[in-house]
Amino acid sequence: MARYDYVEKAVKVTRREFLGLMGVAGAILWTGAYVATDLVQDRTKYIKMRAQGIYTDDAKAKVRQSHNNQAVMDMYKKFAHNPLSELAEELFHTKYVDRTKLV
Amino acid sequence: MKGFQSQEFTGIIQIDRKTCKGCDSCKSFCPSDAIEGKYGAVHRINSEKCISCGQCLVNCPFGAPKDTVDAVDKVIAKLKDKQVTVVGTIAPAVRVAIGEEFGMEPGSLVTEKLYGALKQAGFKVLDTNFTADQTIMEEGMELIAKIRHYALGEPSEHHLGPLPQFTSCCPAWIRFVELYYPDLIPNLSSAKSPMMMAGALAKTYGALEVWKVNPEDMFMVGIMPCTAKKFEASRPEFSSAAHYWQKQGKTGNYPDIDVVLTTRDLARLFKKLNIDFKTVPEFTDKDNPLAQYSGAGTIFGNTGGVMEAALRTAYFVITGKELDVLEFKPVRGLQGVKEASVTMKDVKTGKDVTLKVAVAHGIKENVRPLLEQTKAGKSPYHFIEIMNCPGGCVNGGGQPINPMGTSWLDKAKAVLPWS
Ligand code: SF4
Ligand code: SF4
Ligand code: SF4
Repeated sequence: MARYDYVEKAVKVTRREFLGLMGVAGAILWTGAYVATDLVQDRTKYIKMRAQGIYTDDAKAKVRQSHNNQAVMDMYKKFAHNPLSELAEELFHTKYVDRTKLV
Repeated sequence: MKGFQSQEFTGIIQIDRKTCKGCDSCKSFCPSDAIEGKYGAVHRINSEKCISCGQCLVNCPFGAPKDTVDAVDKVIAKLKDKQVTVVGTIAPAVRVAIGEEFGMEPGSLVTEKLYGALKQAGFKVLDTNFTADQTIMEEGMELIAKIRHYALGEPSEHHLGPLPQFTSCCPAWIRFVELYYPDLIPNLSSAKSPMMMAGALAKTYGALEVWKVNPEDMFMVGIMPCTAKKFEASRPEFSSAAHYWQKQGKTGNYPDIDVVLTTRDLARLFKKLNIDFKTVPEFTDKDNPLAQYSGAGTIFGNTGGVMEAALRTAYFVITGKELDVLEFKPVRGLQGVKEASVTMKDVKTGKDVTLKVAVAHGIKENVRPLLEQTKAGKSPYHFIEIMNCPGGCVNGGGQPINPMGTSWLDKAKAVLPWS
């Protein structure tokens, strides 16, 4: 299935040649598309770098499962009782809106 | 405006007419077909369709789309007001990106610096990673209740929605369902997003047990990698803390989250307050229970993270044993749709349960087939994680734009010598 790894478009003419061929207006549009593919390359690169930062945070954590987060468990003990308790439903759950019906 | 409830923000993302070159790039990123305008002409955003994800904003080569909701000065004013307790809730993806605004490498993990800078600015912290852990408890238990009911045939005490259950952390995704797939609303987990849980928790438990302040004197700031969170916070249903206190006889009407700052906004706030992020003293908020989080809470920032976190806990709850290999590889990486199945022995009944899950990110490219399959009643999955942005929140519309040290706009200038 589709991946978010984009391939940069091959550029066949030099920029100067291109300006000669297409004129300034065309070049703005063309360079826009060109710059976009170029930037997406960068973006994929740093999505990976940021994702790595997040996985490092996990790997170095002393506690790695939500149910072992003692502070969360204390909150339930002192305040919300259990997940899905009446109070938990009131404060931590919600309802959604059919927006096709909103005028 | 059509499709909005009263008081909700509209038009959060708008294209600056003077800057737009009509190059059409944004259309290839917009998940909602909200961008109008012919190739070569100035483009505009149809607010009724827009899910305010900001993907056009971070991907426009000319920087034409703008985020129009700016709360930086308001937050600074609240920070200066001694009557007000300002609490910041920081999403996972902020801590691996904000350094970029101060010249650090993309992906630098700067949690302690971020805590230090927030402290210097005068914020208290309720880390969104704490409520991410809590989301796993709420959303995970909801899923497990469904599995026990539908797959193991146990009677249920609660009203349960249908399977597959979809994650509900991403407000752009939620609005997308509400606009285009209302039939699937019952499939959404009823759990609030970690940011909205943080708002409700801060102004109840936080006010009572942790900071011992009057909830009306609190100002909650969501600090998010995301422009759609600005929309989410403005939804009228999110004032649970005020309702909670009204039932106890207090008056006062206030939202759970007062304002949202993106990663870019927070960097601007630090700069305005002359906080030098690079040299700010690090701080580990270790005496603050609401700043404690697990590895599972932090991976929410990546595509597949919510799923991986949920599986770690679901496995424990169903089998009674901890999952020994914690990295759940099949749901990691940038493939558009990832799927996995885990077979577990139910500790109560001794029966085997196979949990089938899918993870998709990038609504533009990868999500519709999963939704059509679900609508047709043919989904083989129990639980599906959806994130609007390709890569998940690390690539959100509120993140820094020129992280590789080369400004996108400068790059555009390099190829456009006359501009
Ligand atoms: S990508 Fe930017 S410049 Fe190009 S059409 Fe869209 S808003 Fe305009
Ligand atoms: S914010 Fe998102 S939905 Fe709105 S126009 Fe931009 S890309 Fe499309
Ligand atoms: S994936 Fe994350 S950053 Fe992107 S719209 Fe959803 S919540 Fe916001």
